[in-house]
Formats: sequence, structure tokens, C-alpha cells
Amino acid sequence: MRQKRPSLQSLEYKARWLALLLLAVGLHLFEASLPSLGPWFKLGLANLVTLLVLVWMGPRAAVALAVGRVLIGAFFIGTLFTPTFLISMAGALSAAVVMVLAWRWLPGISLIGISLLAALTHMVAQFVVVEGLFIQQPALYYALPPLLLLSTISGWLNGALALYIVARLNYEIQD
Amino acid sequence: MATLTRQKPVGQSLSVTLKGTRADRVLLALALLLIATAWWVIQAVMLSGPAVAMIYHGSTLLASYPLPGPGEPAIHVTAGGELGDSEVIIDQQGARISASPCVTQLCVLSGAHRHAGDIIACVPNHILVTIQGSEDSSYDAIVE
Repeated sequence: MRQKRPSLQSLEYKARWLALLLLAVGLHLFEASLPSLGPWFKLGLANLVTLLVLVWMGPRAAVALAVGRVLIGAFFIGTLFTPTFLISMAGALSAAVVMVLAWRWLPGISLIGISLLAALTHMVAQFVVVEGLFIQQPALYYALPPLLLLSTISGWLNGALALYIVARLNYEIQD
Repeated sequence: MATLTRQKPVGQSLSVTLKGTRADRVLLALALLLIATAWWVIQAVMLSGPAVAMIYHGSTLLASYPLPGPGEPAIHVTAGGELGDSEVIIDQQGARISASPCVTQLCVLSGAHRHAGDIIACVPNHILVTIQGSEDSSYDAIVE
């Protein structure tokens, strides 16, 4: 029995998602290779791709991309299923969920506000996981305010960059 | 044949985009207010008392040592963790993890810290080093 061929639209959707996943993995690896500015602080470039996918392809694609890029990224870095992986996954997943909730439910907010909330959530989630699973010391949170300030700056800039990219990569397929 | 055509950009320049919407700016103000308040409270707690390096394994305080002053010898501490022993050195530059059994070695690479509120965390080995206080110490060591 012959299978029905997938539509061009469906193929294009999947190809675009895979290309963005590869971009997110590449940025994930790039960020992992940069010198650290503080415990578990990253620039958030990989989260920027999650934000773009949310706008272009919807919530499910965005959450799937966040999970996929942490899984594949950890595989290449060699931290799969280690504490580093759990911290990274908690941050990326919670940030993606907050992006979706803010995008759906917060009126008047732009990608900048969504990115800001996601960056802050990402940082807090990482600390909660470390404190809950590995080092049960509230003293950990002493380091949080300066890192949240860095996250605020990076979240705002990434959001602005996402807005800029969304406005300029506005393509349409015509027959 | 399907072709990709680029539509005219609908956004503004990056400098204008950076301003965000009114709701974005309200969120930013709230976030900065919360961060500043938390930072102020934590610093008020952390800056009191002598400058001390606290070494934890999980929920257990292993030891705390005052940061040595000029001319005082460095302190070497072996902290037993989940994977093995982490070596902690406390000297005039602050506290640092000099050797760790973890794979990533991020704790070793993070270097020395001496300011109140600084932390060095080796998550795989469940070891945490924090710096508390900012005044000169009046005692040699507290070990549990």
C-alpha cells in the first residue's frame, strides 16, 4: 500500500524546525565554550532561537526545540544525564514554558519583555534545581542578585535582537 | 514553482527596538527593583562579621576559615564530596578550588573569590565554598 506523500508545507515546516534546532545546538555549544561570567550564566543566544520558534511556529515547536537542543548539546559536550545536564534542562524548559505563558497571557508585552522574563526564570530555575538536588544550602542564593542583573541585561538585548530578526526575516512562500 | 519572496521589513531600527513597549519597561523596572532589594538585604547580612570562607558538602558545613591576612600562611583543606576529594586553598587572594574530581572542572576554572556573597560551586561533587563577612577576623578557624 502506497503511503500518502507529505505536503510541501509540512516538509517545509519540519525542515525549518530542524534548521533552527541545529542553529540552537550550535549556539548552545558556542556558549558552552565561552569563559564563564558566573555560575550557570550564559548569554542566552540559544534561548533566542526558542523565542524565534515560538513566534514563527508556535508553543509546541518552541518547547520541543528547547528540550531537543539541550539533549543534543549535552551529547556533544559530554554532559548528557550529568548534574550539568539537569541544570541546563531545568533552565531551558522553564524558560520556554514562561515564554509561552507570557506570549499567550501578558497583554502589551513584546518579545523583549518575554525574553526578559525567560532569562530571569532560566537563572532562578537553575539555582532551585542545584539547591533542591545537589547542594542543600540557602547560601547558594547569595550569588543570585548579580547574576539576575546580568540575566536582565542579556534578556533585554536578546529580546530586542529577536524583534529585529522577526521584522526582517519576514518571508512568504509564493507559487 | 514555489519561490521565497522577502516582504518589506515591518520593524524599526535596532536602537528604536531596544526601547521595548510600556509593558516591557514596567517589567524591567519591577525586575530591577526586586533584584536591588534582594541584593541590598543579602549584602547587609553577608557583610557583617569577619571575612570567612565556608565549605559545605551538600547540606553539611564541613569547615569555615577566616581569610588569611598579609603574611599569614595559606590554608589547604580537603573536602570530601560525592565523587571524591576537592582541594580548597584559602590565601590572601581568597578561596579557590585547586583540584576536583569532576569532569567539567568549572569550579577550578572559576578561580579565587574573596568578596562577601561570592560562591564557588562544584555541583557534581556537591561541594560549595562561600565567602561571608568583610571585617578582619578575630579567630583562627572553626571546624565541624
